[in-house]
Amino acid sequence: MKHLKSFVSFTAPMVIMLITFCIYLLINKVVVNYKQNITNDYSIIVVSNTPFSKINNIADIKIKNIKILERKDIIKDIKGKLSESSLKLLNEKLPYFYQIYLEEFPTTYKLDQIKEELSNISNVKRVETFSNNHNKIYSLLLLIQNIIMVLFILMLMLSFLLISKQIKIWFFEQSERISIIQFHGGSLLYSSKPIIKVMAFSTLFSIVFIGLISYITFININLLVKPEIVTLIPKLNDMQFDILKVILLAFIIPLITFFGLSVQHKIK
Amino acid sequence: MILATNITLSYDGKKNIIENGSFHIKEKEFIFISGSSGSGKSTLLKSFYGELGVKKGHLLINKMDISKANSTKLLTLRKNIGIVFQDYKLIKEYTVEENIMLPLELKGYDERISKKQVKNLLNHVQLAHKANAYPAELSGGEQQRVAMARALAHNPSLILADEPTGNLDEYSANVIWKLLRDANEYLGITVVVVTHTIPKGFPIKYRRFNIDDGVVYEAS
Repeated sequence: MKHLKSFVSFTAPMVIMLITFCIYLLINKVVVNYKQNITNDYSIIVVSNTPFSKINNIADIKIKNIKILERKDIIKDIKGKLSESSLKLLNEKLPYFYQIYLEEFPTTYKLDQIKEELSNISNVKRVETFSNNHNKIYSLLLLIQNIIMVLFILMLMLSFLLISKQIKIWFFEQSERISIIQFHGGSLLYSSKPIIKVMAFSTLFSIVFIGLISYITFININLLVKPEIVTLIPKLNDMQFDILKVILLAFIIPLITFFGLSVQHKIK
Repeated sequence: MILATNITLSYDGKKNIIENGSFHIKEKEFIFISGSSGSGKSTLLKSFYGELGVKKGHLLINKMDISKANSTKLLTLRKNIGIVFQDYKLIKEYTVEENIMLPLELKGYDERISKKQVKNLLNHVQLAHKANAYPAELSGGEQQRVAMARALAHNPSLILADEPTGNLDEYSANVIWKLLRDANEYLGITVVVVTHTIPKGFPIKYRRFNIDDGVVYEAS
C-alpha cells in the first residue's frame, strides 16, 4: 500500500508533465507544418515600371523564386473588350508584374520591412503582400503555441515540486533506516535504493502510458480533429526526435530532483 | 588500532565535551569506557566511527586519520567496524536474516557466502529459528543478539558498543557480554564498550578508561 502510494505520487505529476510536453511538441510541429504550407502558397506581387533586377534576400529572408507574370496573360481576360490599337498601347504601357516566393513565411513585422524595402527600389510602383488572410491563422497558431509553452513550464515546475516533495517525505520517513545503513558504511545512494526503484518504475510506466495514449491518438486522429487540420498533423515517423525528447525529459526530471535533494540531505 | 592525540570533541563548536584526550588502544584489546551520565562516553565512541568530527587534535582509527577523512573514507572505515547500539538500531522493514546480511552486502560479499555466514551467526546467537522474523516480533534481548550478529558478520577488526546491555535484563545482558568476550578472545577483534557498569568478575583481561569533566584517563 505504501509503495503504491509512492508510485502514484510519482507517476501522476510525471504523466501530467509528459502529456503537456507532448501537446507542446505537437503544436510546435503543427505550426511548423502550417508555416511550410503557407510559405509554399504565399507570394508577394510587385509592380515595376522597369524590369526588376535580381535580388536574393529581402529583410533578411531568402527569396526562393521570382516569377514574371506575362503581360499577355494579364490582358488575356480583357482582350475581347478592347480594340486592337488599345491593346497594343496597353501592351506597351503596362508595367512589369513579378510574383516573389520566399523561403519562409514572414512575421507581420518582417512583412512591413519587406514592403518598405521593395517600395524603396526605384521604379517600383506597388507592392502587395496579401498578408491578412494568412497572418490571422498563423498568429492564432503562434498564440496557442505560446500558451501551451507557458502551460508546459508551469506543469514542469509543478511536477518538479511534487516529485521533490515526495522524495523529501521519503527521506524523512526513512531517515532512521538511512542512518543505520550509513553507520555500516552504506552510501546515501545505496540506502536510497527503494526510492530509486519506485522512481525508475514510475518513469518507465509514465513513458509506456504516454506512448500508448499518443499512439491511440495518432491512429484515431481523423476522428479527433477536423479534416482541414489533419494535413497539418505530423506523421508518427516524423516525431522520432520528439519521442526521444519526451523520454529524455521523463528521465532527467526525477534524476535532477533526486540528486539535488540527495546533496541537500548530505549537507544537512 | 585507535590512537588519539590531544583530541577535543564538541557538538556545537563552543562547549567542549572532551578536552585534549590522548590514549592508545592496541589491537585485540578489550576496552571499557565508563563515566557518569553526560560525561561524554558515547560522544567519544561516536568520534571513533566518524559520527562526530574531531574539533582539535588527531584521531587515528586503523591508521586512518579520522579528523581529516572525507565522507567516502569514513564509509570505507565503517565497513570494517562493527557497531552495537543501546537501542539496537535494526532496520524494521528487514527480517533478522536481512539485517545481519546488511554489512556483508555493503562489503560486496557473494550472496551464497553471505547466507552461509548469516546461518552460522544465527546459530551462534541461538536465533536460527527467528531468521525470517521482523525486529518487532523479537524481545529486546533477541534484538540485541541480532545486532551483535550483525556487528560480527563481516569479520570486523573493531567492535564499538554503546551501552549494549543498557536496555536488557540480567540474562540477556550476560549473553551479550559473553558474545563480546568471545569476539575478543576467540576472533581477536578489538572491542570498545561504553558502559555505566562493568560486569563483576569479567573473566578476560581488559583496560578501562574513565571520563570525568571532559578528561579521559586510564583507570586502574
